[in-house]
Amino acid sequence: MINNLVFRKLLNYPLLEQINHLHTTRILSAWSPLGDGPQKWLAYNKKIYPPQEPHEERRPAFVCHQRTNIKYSPWKMWYIASMIRGMSVDEAIKQLKFVLKKGAKDVRETLEEAKEMAVKEHNVEFPSNMWVAESLVGKGIVFKGMRRHARRRMGKVEYFHCHYFVRLEEGSPPKHYYQNVPKEPSEKLEEWLQQMRSRKIINSL
Amino acid sequence: MALSSVNKFALRLLKDFRPGLLAPALTNTNLDIVRHRRTKHFNPKFRQLRKLKVIKVKLPKFNENTDDLTEEEIRSKMKERGMLPPRPWIENQYFISSTGGIFEPYVPPEGDGKVSPVSAQGAKQKLQFLEKKTKTMMAIRKIRSFEEEFDTPTFCKLAENIYIKAHECMMSRDEEEVIKYVTETAYPEILNNIANKTIRWKFLKNIELPRVAHARCTDVITKENIFAQITVRFHSQQVLAVYDRFGRLLHGSEIIAKDVLEYVVFEKHLANEYGVWRIHGKIIPDWLPRRDATLLTHKLPSTSETGVNTKKADTVVAQPSESETVTT
Repeated sequence: MINNLVFRKLLNYPLLEQINHLHTTRILSAWSPLGDGPQKWLAYNKKIYPPQEPHEERRPAFVCHQRTNIKYSPWKMWYIASMIRGMSVDEAIKQLKFVLKKGAKDVRETLEEAKEMAVKEHNVEFPSNMWVAESLVGKGIVFKGMRRHARRRMGKVEYFHCHYFVRLEEGSPPKHYYQNVPKEPSEKLEEWLQQMRSRKIINSL
Repeated sequence: MALSSVNKFALRLLKDFRPGLLAPALTNTNLDIVRHRRTKHFNPKFRQLRKLKVIKVKLPKFNENTDDLTEEEIRSKMKERGMLPPRPWIENQYFISSTGGIFEPYVPPEGDGKVSPVSAQGAKQKLQFLEKKTKTMMAIRKIRSFEEEFDTPTFCKLAENIYIKAHECMMSRDEEEVIKYVTETAYPEILNNIANKTIRWKFLKNIELPRVAHARCTDVITKENIFAQITVRFHSQQVLAVYDRFGRLLHGSEIIAKDVLEYVVFEKHLANEYGVWRIHGKIIPDWLPRRDATLLTHKLPSTSETGVNTKKADTVVAQPSESETVTT
């Protein structure tokens, strides 16, 4: 049975790269010409916080998850990632089922995996009681291809890949995800009144 | 006859009703709308020629699950790349520094041996006890042949020391240090138990002095390669609190002291000149009462399809110090 990890990793490399990189013994193939991909995001899952005192507010659990090198444009993926920010997980998964974009499938699968991870590894009691605290997109590996132009010229074709990162946090989602929220009419009135009252009238008492 | 067959054919046609094909024809006839596509060249050859301009690149499938591939698919992929399958390396070096389990494990008497010897069960227990005691004495004699100044009271003190040190290393999550106090068999279990957790543990005092309950020796592969295992009974007062990764209390308490009765197995590679006594495992008797359930709700794995069944399950955290019998 062929289940060597390094070997399985090797199977995924493009053929051309491999021919350049002929020595495929174990140690040499531990280094990959494609890089190791994003390392920092999952490292947040390893951080251990100090024990809380009984009077302290319960620290919400969180779980970081990622999917790397999805064959999709990072610029298109951004719309999907931004859409689900600040939603509860179940709502986000439900919404993503109706997004007719190729990347929505990967995002949904990542969310489902993260939900499962939270219960199994991160001491979360109810996976539905989580919300999408962070949802980001990164640029993955770009393969360059060629395209013939007239007069012995050529054009570059770029095959983009993207990374998707998500952080789920325990609890219910906040009312507003972004900081600069448009103010309520009552708040605006209050602000205007404040401004009016704090005017300085020159040459008055 | 002929008419009926024609009718049948017409009926069959009606059954094969395809709205996709029929619909545009109907609209055309009724509304006279003809769609012209203006982006397409009338001569299709240019499309083909444009395609030829792009040099095809075979992109790797990064998120392909290689575990799902069949043997044949993997073979063909390797062949495509001219790779040879990894050759199994037959020769392996083994260094046996600890045994794989507890041999002839000590069976703690029910009720801590407080059954009256007058009763039938009590008499039986006493007899078994005597039989086991002779074996223990022989094992201790064997240990003495390797370790001349072996003496049970001093060993018990050493055992207590090892026991405390091992727990302190677990508390500080010192993976390098903990291997000095636990054997290679117990090591992965301990690492698994301390992963993603904070442990607060305190040894308060001994209620009874630790004593040797059981001792056994065995040889591995050759006659001279002898391992010794000694089961020590600890009855002490401890404090234990386990916190999860986010510092939330999972189990126990930092202010409640509990009386703990434990049978800890220590092992030493006698044949090794540099062998040391290390914790090898714990004996958890069958008659032990069920432990308290955790505070968390868990979903039962078998009923996951049916959905809502949640149940208060047993403790998930198998922390070594939890596996004690709490007396009094």
